[in-house]
Order: sequence, then structure tokens, then C-alpha cells
Amino acid sequence: MGKLLALEWMKLKNYRTFWILFCIYLATIFGANYIIYRIQVYIYDERQAKGFAAMVLGNPPYSFPTVWQAAAHVSSWLLFIPGLIMILTVTNEYSFKTHRQNVIDGLTRRQFITSKILFAAVLAVISAVMVAITAAIFGFMSGDASFSFEGFSYIGYYLFQAMSYIMVALLMGVLFKRGALAIGVFFAYSTVLEQILVMVLNKFANWTGRYLPLETTDIMVPFPYIQGLARKLLATEPNYTAVFITSVVYLAAYLFITIKKFQTDDM
Amino acid sequence: MAILTVEDLHKNYGPIQALKGVSFSVPKGSVFGILGPNGSGKTTLLGIILNVLKASSGSFKLFDEVPTHAHRQQIGTLLETPNFYHYLNAVQNLTIAATIKQRGKADIDRVLELVNLEQRKFSKFSTYSLGMKQRLAIASSLLGDPDVLIFDEPTNGLDPVGIVETRELIKKLYKAGKTIIMASHLLDEVEKVCTHVAILQTGTLLTHGHVDEILITDEIVETSAPDMQQLQSILQHYPGAKTVVLNDLYVELTFSPGAASLDALNRFCFEQGVTLQHLRLRKKSLETKFFELTQNTK
Repeated sequence: MGKLLALEWMKLKNYRTFWILFCIYLATIFGANYIIYRIQVYIYDERQAKGFAAMVLGNPPYSFPTVWQAAAHVSSWLLFIPGLIMILTVTNEYSFKTHRQNVIDGLTRRQFITSKILFAAVLAVISAVMVAITAAIFGFMSGDASFSFEGFSYIGYYLFQAMSYIMVALLMGVLFKRGALAIGVFFAYSTVLEQILVMVLNKFANWTGRYLPLETTDIMVPFPYIQGLARKLLATEPNYTAVFITSVVYLAAYLFITIKKFQTDDM
Repeated sequence: MAILTVEDLHKNYGPIQALKGVSFSVPKGSVFGILGPNGSGKTTLLGIILNVLKASSGSFKLFDEVPTHAHRQQIGTLLETPNFYHYLNAVQNLTIAATIKQRGKADIDRVLELVNLEQRKFSKFSTYSLGMKQRLAIASSLLGDPDVLIFDEPTNGLDPVGIVETRELIKKLYKAGKTIIMASHLLDEVEKVCTHVAILQTGTLLTHGHVDEILITDEIVETSAPDMQQLQSILQHYPGAKTVVLNDLYVELTFSPGAASLDALNRFCFEQGVTLQHLRLRKKSLETKFFELTQNTK
């Protein structure tokens, strides 16, 4: 494990494109949350709205304890960026044919693909840590309520969501092998196609859209209060247990197909 | 001990049969050439041995054992093209290779010196010329001084000096007791450096064995006389001639190497009442030989 991660580190530490994308990603997590935070400040500090917002919504979303959930939800919209990084690192190997050379030099195929899965996990953990730090910062800045770990489980859900997104990206990379194609399909599916399918299925097929691959993890991290509103407005509330189990099955499937595909294909 | 034993290897790419039941073995300490025209299955064969391709059927052994990644770590390999991270320099690339092979990094400078790349060792791989890339790949294969080397078209992309240097290097490695498996479509390259050869054509192994036995070149004697028909008919009975063929200019006799004797032939004709106008010994070119080997099976 350690050896495989060390190998991955050797490949990345001098790769400038990776560092640029990585830094941009960390900055956008903070930046995107800052935008929503400013909107909140604007709404809550606006004199006429102040009482109204507090009356309808309660405490501002970016104050403890809802800040964990708010930051996790907002940051989840940026998960295509670590997905892009993941696709880049795996399709680079295909285009340089270094995946081939690594195996020729004496890695097993399983070791190679494990090193990529470990990288996906590390990326997801870094992402979750960054979100947690961002959440804590905005929680303190909102200042109305004192620090609390209540609702911190949403950071856990977010970690799971990040892992799912990045694993889908890895799967795309392994399936399509070419960077542009994998990135195109991943972007189109994760940002637009699935959202449309979810809407269509939810409307016409008895809410089955909730069980689409990425939607199963999206559903676990809604924006604070939206959940409560949804409960009041919607006829059927999601069955969170079933959704969560489905998402675990999906993640297992991504892992299985990725490993299987890499172990049996000609290189 | 056999370094590599291949048994009845088949490989299909869809309807195309790239390998059709290839079997041979590579003895320790040999320079084993796999010779064949483009698309004959050389790289496919080596790819299967190195686990980057999956055989459709058949098996192979490395060091008389069921092959594992640990065996590959002990083999220095250059397959098809030099494969390195474009954004890393030579030292960084070789560090990755050395880590995978579980060899020390101390060896990196030595192998870079061997292929004359020490001046450019901190330049990015993407800035290298084709020949330099090839030399870096050779350097990588030499990491850790492995006892077995696999080279696929090792002189590809090299300039004439590079070609000579590489061939010298292979000879030096052979003298140091290494086993070298080399695929090439260049006949004279195989003849110059190999001790053993296997000839592959469209996935079929035509023949294999010691180079002196396989790439042995027959001797041809050209003769002519005023009456060519008569000359041909008496030479049909000449002892030791493998074939007697009448072409446009000459009656040509083929002999095993060293078996042709011009004065004996001259005397034979004279005794049969034929005076020769032309008598010349020439060797069959390797290309002709190769052509013959690869055409006979059709």
C-alpha cells in the first residue's frame, strides 16, 4: 500500500498540470462557499428580510451546526474537478503507455490499478478535509452560534459522495482510455445528463430517479432546510436507507468493473 | 535451464490470428533472435510473455517456473516503443522504473553513462530526440544489471553510430553471460549478434535453432556452355548438387556450404565432353535465404 502510494507520488510530485488543477480545486472549494456565504449575509443583514429569513429558515445555514451540511452541499457541485484530475492521471498512463511499462517492469496489474484506487481515495479524503476546514472557518465567521460537531456526519456523507464521483471518473478513464473522451462523457453525465434523467424518472417513474448512480450520493447531502421543506412539500420522502445501500452497491460495482477491466484487457 | 519456454501459444485479435501455436525455448546464455517481417507476431509474442497481452491459449514459463511479476522484475525489457512520463526527466523516470523493479537508485547514473545520456539526464523526456528516447529505454532495461534482457527492435530510430553502439552493447552483455531475447525484422542484425534464431511469419513459427544452422547460406555455382540443354542434362547427375536449375543465362547448381568445388565441377564437365564458358561461385544472399524461408510455406 505504502509503496504503491509512494510510486503514485513520484509520478505526480513533478507534474505541474496536476498541481495547478489541484490548487485551483482547493481554491474553488473556498471560493464557492464564500459566494453562498455572502448571499446569506446579504439576505440576513438586509433590514426588511432579516426577520423574515430568520423566521422562515431559522439560523443562517453557514452558522453551526448546519454549516457542515451547507459547505458539504455547495462543495459537492465542484466534484467534477477532482474527477477531472483522476481522469487525467489515469489516461496519461494510457497515452504515455507507461501503464504497460509499469507492468513490464514488474508491477502486477492489480498493484497498478490499486495504486490508482488509492489515489482516488486520497483525493476524496483531501477534498473532505478541505471542506471541513472551510466549513469551520465560515461557521466561526457567521458567529451567531458556538462551535459544534453536530451535523458533522454530513462531512462523512460528503467523503462518500466524493469517493463515488472520483471512482466514476476512474472508471471512465479505464473504459475509454483517451482523456478527452473520458472527460467529455464524465462531464456530460455528471453535470447534465444524470440531472435530466433524475427529473424525468422522478416525475414519470415513481421517483426511481433517486436511484441513479450519482444521485444516490447527492441525495444524502441536501442543502440545509431544503430537506425540511421537501418533507413538507413532497408526497414521498426518499427512503434514505435504501438510497444509501444502493450507493454502496454502486461504489462496489465501480471498483469491481475497474479492477476487472484492467486485469483482463490487453494493454 | 531454459530462460523461457513457450508452448503452443495462440493469440487472436478478433478474427485475426496473430499467433498460431508457437513453441520454442530459449537456452540460458544465448542471444535469441526472433526474426520476422513486420506484422509477423514478434511484439505480440513478447507482449504475452510480459503480461501486457493475454494469450488466447497456450502457456509459457520463465526460468522454468510459472511466470509472476517477480520474474519480470528480474528481466530488463524494451518493448516496442520507449514508454516514459513525458513531463519527467531521465533521472525521475528511471527512479520510477527502479522502484518498481525494486532496484537501488544508485544504478541510475551508471546506466545513463552506458548509453551516453548523462549530459541530458535532467532534461524532460518530451525534449528528447527519437534516438535519445530509445537510448533511455535501453538504459532503463539495464537497471540493476539483470541477467535476462528482452529487446524489441532495439536499434529502431537510432543513427548509424547508435546502431553500432547498441550492437556492441548487446555483444558485451552476451559475453558477460547475459541471456538476451531480441526481436528484429533486420536479418543482418540477427546474423551479426544472435546465437539462436526463431523465424516467425504471420504468426507461425517456421523454424528455430542455432543461427549457424538456420541462417546457413547455400553456395551457388553458375555455369554456362554453348549447349545449355546438354549442360543441364549432364549436371543433373553431378554428385553433391542439391538443385540444378537452368535460367536465362546460366545453369545454376546449389551446394551445401563448403561443398562446392569449382575444379572438380570443371573436370566433371570436361570428362562428359562439355567445355564450360562460364564458371563462378557465389553465396546466396541472406535476403534470398530469408525470402525463401518465408515463401516456402505458402
